[in-house]
Amino acid sequence: MIELLLIGIKVVVVTLIVFALPLPLTYIERKVAGHIQVRLGPYRVGPHGILQPFADMVKLMFKEDIIPAKADPWLFRIAPVIAMVPAFVVFATIPFGEKVTLPILNYEVNLYISNMDTGILYILAIAGLSVYGIILGGWASNSKYPLLGGLRSSAQMISYELALSFACIGVVMIVNSLSLVDIVKAQSGWHWNILYQPVGFVIFFIAGLAEINRIPFDLPEDEGTLGAGYHAEYSSMRFAFFMLTEYVAMVSMSILIVLLFLGGWDGPAFLPGIVWFLLKVAMLIYIIIWTRFTYPRYRYDQLMSIGWKILLPLSLANILITGLVII
Amino acid sequence: MAEQIFFFVFAILAVGSAIAVVSLRNPVHSVISLMVCFLQMAALFVMLRSPFIAVVQVFVYVGAVLVLFLFVIMMLDIAKAGMERFVSGGKLWVIALLGALLLEMVLMISRSRLSAITAPAAGRLTGTVREVGEALFTKYILPFEVVSLILLVALLGAIVLGRKELR
Amino acid sequence: MNRNHYNFDLNGLLKKVFFVDLIQGLFITFHYTFSKTITMKYPDEETWIPYKRFRGLHTLNKNKEGKELCVGCELCQKSCPTQCITVVPMQDTTGKGIADRVAYRWEINLLRCMFCGLCEDACPTEALKLGREYELAGTSMQRHLLTKEELLAPQAVPAEFEGGVIVKARLGTDETGIKVVPDMSVQKRWW
Ligand code: SF4
Ligand code: SF4
Repeated sequence: MIELLLIGIKVVVVTLIVFALPLPLTYIERKVAGHIQVRLGPYRVGPHGILQPFADMVKLMFKEDIIPAKADPWLFRIAPVIAMVPAFVVFATIPFGEKVTLPILNYEVNLYISNMDTGILYILAIAGLSVYGIILGGWASNSKYPLLGGLRSSAQMISYELALSFACIGVVMIVNSLSLVDIVKAQSGWHWNILYQPVGFVIFFIAGLAEINRIPFDLPEDEGTLGAGYHAEYSSMRFAFFMLTEYVAMVSMSILIVLLFLGGWDGPAFLPGIVWFLLKVAMLIYIIIWTRFTYPRYRYDQLMSIGWKILLPLSLANILITGLVII
Repeated sequence: MAEQIFFFVFAILAVGSAIAVVSLRNPVHSVISLMVCFLQMAALFVMLRSPFIAVVQVFVYVGAVLVLFLFVIMMLDIAKAGMERFVSGGKLWVIALLGALLLEMVLMISRSRLSAITAPAAGRLTGTVREVGEALFTKYILPFEVVSLILLVALLGAIVLGRKELR
Repeated sequence: MNRNHYNFDLNGLLKKVFFVDLIQGLFITFHYTFSKTITMKYPDEETWIPYKRFRGLHTLNKNKEGKELCVGCELCQKSCPTQCITVVPMQDTTGKGIADRVAYRWEINLLRCMFCGLCEDACPTEALKLGREYELAGTSMQRHLLTKEELLAPQAVPAEFEGGVIVKARLGTDETGIKVVPDMSVQKRWW
């Protein structure tokens, strides 16, 4: 009974945290953007603009929810939800640490909702579903640019999911398990996978950026040529759902990279594991934001040739070499 | 008990969405229904204690195949596609064929030993990946390789068809 | 890559493989992240004082003895391309002006003014100057119809002040609009 209760509590806590995360993330992203561009970023709402995300949230909630007359009303309404749900469901099997003992109750708690046998596969499979929201949102808007955004998104997803999964296989081969907890355990004591799988790490990072639609691969929402792309027709909370999805995807991708390649919660003992874990994730999120405001966007044909002609063969070669070394 | 309730929920949703796939007029809506159907199938696989198959189902069918479906269908003129008949010409022989197929399936199921599966399988969800892998690469290595060869042939065929100079 | 020459460019290849250019780019932006920002915290904390040449809100000046310089010659009214100035002269022997003719009414409709400065150039006595106030947005029409009394009041930035600095400021709002009040005591250069 207490087990069930605990799972319930964990689900609620994780969902709430993940729901709230985009608030600070939008603020950080805008601040980093500002300073990279020698600006100050948001400054007026609250000290150093710290309340800006709340102001934005209120603004988004009270905006008019516009559904274009020629849109497919049912799909148009449901697409943001289709995008958002997988982004959250992914967290069901993401471990944040190993056991901790609750201070007052003296009860051991696992810092994950479930340790699935097929953890990494599950995450990749579910995370891939988010793209439906984008495709359907683009199609249901019944307008040119969103449709192009949706098409781009589907092609991009197919191309990069392959490289992403193949990059994982190297890690799985070394660790001999698909479970994320086992993968992290195998890396304890500085045996981080990035040292054994540098190529895999680079491929995973690049393909991951493409998978979560971040610059330099954010072609589905290319402001320059598509005018916001797949969510061009969205406004109000439905637009906010898409934004939420994007930020949650960024967090889960950073977490995934940390778990697979950067040793998860492994680190020098003077800090508890969860702190190391959060530090690493924060660092990766910063790097992702940093790259966003450093690089221009790739052209679409460049995107495709990077995916199919460089990343995919490289990841296959990586698997081959890893296999040879293991044997 | 709880398991049976879940089973019926998933099963009814799966059958319902499968019917929706063929009855909906809008191809994009059909694809969505197909996605729902596949997800329910995955859930049923989990209930059969094979999470690996379930995940692969989601990964391959929902994650990749259906995205390609959508990619193609999104290019269609939906208004026109919605008006088209699935089977042109007389319908009678189609219905007869379907009836025969249904009869055959009912017969097959009633005669086979499939009913044995309804007994709850071993209540274990861990270690299945390893078992699947081992079975695939030892006992069933020949079918596995044959299947991959067939897929390779299909792949090559598609490439040859797609090349402009050879057409 | 140029396909016509077959020189094997090892250096370039290594650069690509190790993302040298990309990482250099990252370092450049990282450097900017911690460099001094060039934007100012307008209007809450800082505001920009323009140079003397700036053409902002009009002022009517007085001479050193405190006499009105405007002699009501109506030249500004004639020269204004948008006809937004209205001058009605009158005779005055009380000595509040520098001559025995002063402006009875001197009104300007800022909604039509385009701050071209022709009125300033036309003025023979240098009574009219375009000052350095530029926060002219308001919520009522009345705010933009200024009269002689309002224009005679000294502006926050004195005419002799060189300008070209950032000063401390405070954002003030009233029912007619927004006014940013500069505090000239704390000045800093922009660069
Ligand atoms: S600045 Fe130009 S437009 Fe404005 S009052 Fe003077 S002459 Fe007229
Ligand atoms: S402001 Fe100058 S130009 Fe205008 S009426 Fe007065 S003296 Fe003449």
